[in-house]
Amino acid sequence: MQQFANPRRFLKLIDAVEPWAWAFTVILLAVGLYLSLVVAPQDYQQGETVRIMFVHVPAAWMALLAYLDMALASAVAIIFRHPLADIAAKAAAPIGACFTFLALATGSLWGKPMWGTWWVWDARLTSMFVLFLLYLGYIAIWHAIDDPGRAARIAAIVALVGCINLPIIKFSVDWWNTLHQPASVFRIGGPTLHPAILAPLLVMGAAYLALFVTLHLTAIRAEIMARRLRQMELARADEV
Amino acid sequence: MDLAAPHLGFVLAAYGLSLLVLGGLVLWLRHRSRTLAQAVQQLEAEGAPRRRAIAGAP
Repeated sequence: MQQFANPRRFLKLIDAVEPWAWAFTVILLAVGLYLSLVVAPQDYQQGETVRIMFVHVPAAWMALLAYLDMALASAVAIIFRHPLADIAAKAAAPIGACFTFLALATGSLWGKPMWGTWWVWDARLTSMFVLFLLYLGYIAIWHAIDDPGRAARIAAIVALVGCINLPIIKFSVDWWNTLHQPASVFRIGGPTLHPAILAPLLVMGAAYLALFVTLHLTAIRAEIMARRLRQMELARADEV
Repeated sequence: MDLAAPHLGFVLAAYGLSLLVLGGLVLWLRHRSRTLAQAVQQLEAEGAPRRRAIAGAP
């Protein structure tokens, strides 16, 4: 990992990997959408509305994964002072916020026809909403503090403290009586879904994962460039 | 997909919103990355130093 501590070397790696990552993502998304919209059958209870699950569930998975990624990178930044760790953490935040927003919004679009309501203050929904607020708070810290070193430290602490919300989200459906259905894919005993529904869901999950990784690489590149630009502008200002 | 099925508008709205948000995110990140890279290249071409001089250094 230390060999990629040099941002210039890491940029070269991103340049080499990014086009392939985009191609892989587009192919997976195309296959996933075909399976979700054309091949997957209607659910006997939900009808066509089940197709919302193919964009809702992967978005929720990526919302959690992005936060885990952000928190792990923050821990590495605090413990090992790896120069790219806080860049990686900062770059993951807007992507995670978008996935969380999509999980909440598409869940709401599913909830209205199936539950008869857009929103309930159910444990799963509320903890996901808290996750969205954590992302917004994390992004706000980076914007509010001018000194990048200080912003990185405070944001990393917030990200690590917010980690407590991840098991709450995951197990909220087991710990409390919720309107949200219990886990049906990642559970002890295996998935409870019919293969005709599970296959498109897993392909869309893989497509969203590829999209997250690719977007994260692009965001890291942008952040490295932003820091380089800031350094150059400060150096130039010193010269004047 | 049955185009006459009830609640189809909710399905289309969910896919449309996903496309809008994720497409917007892709465009924003790629635009930001490209704009910043161009700005760095321009400063390098103008001969701007890469780092600030350390005070007291020879």
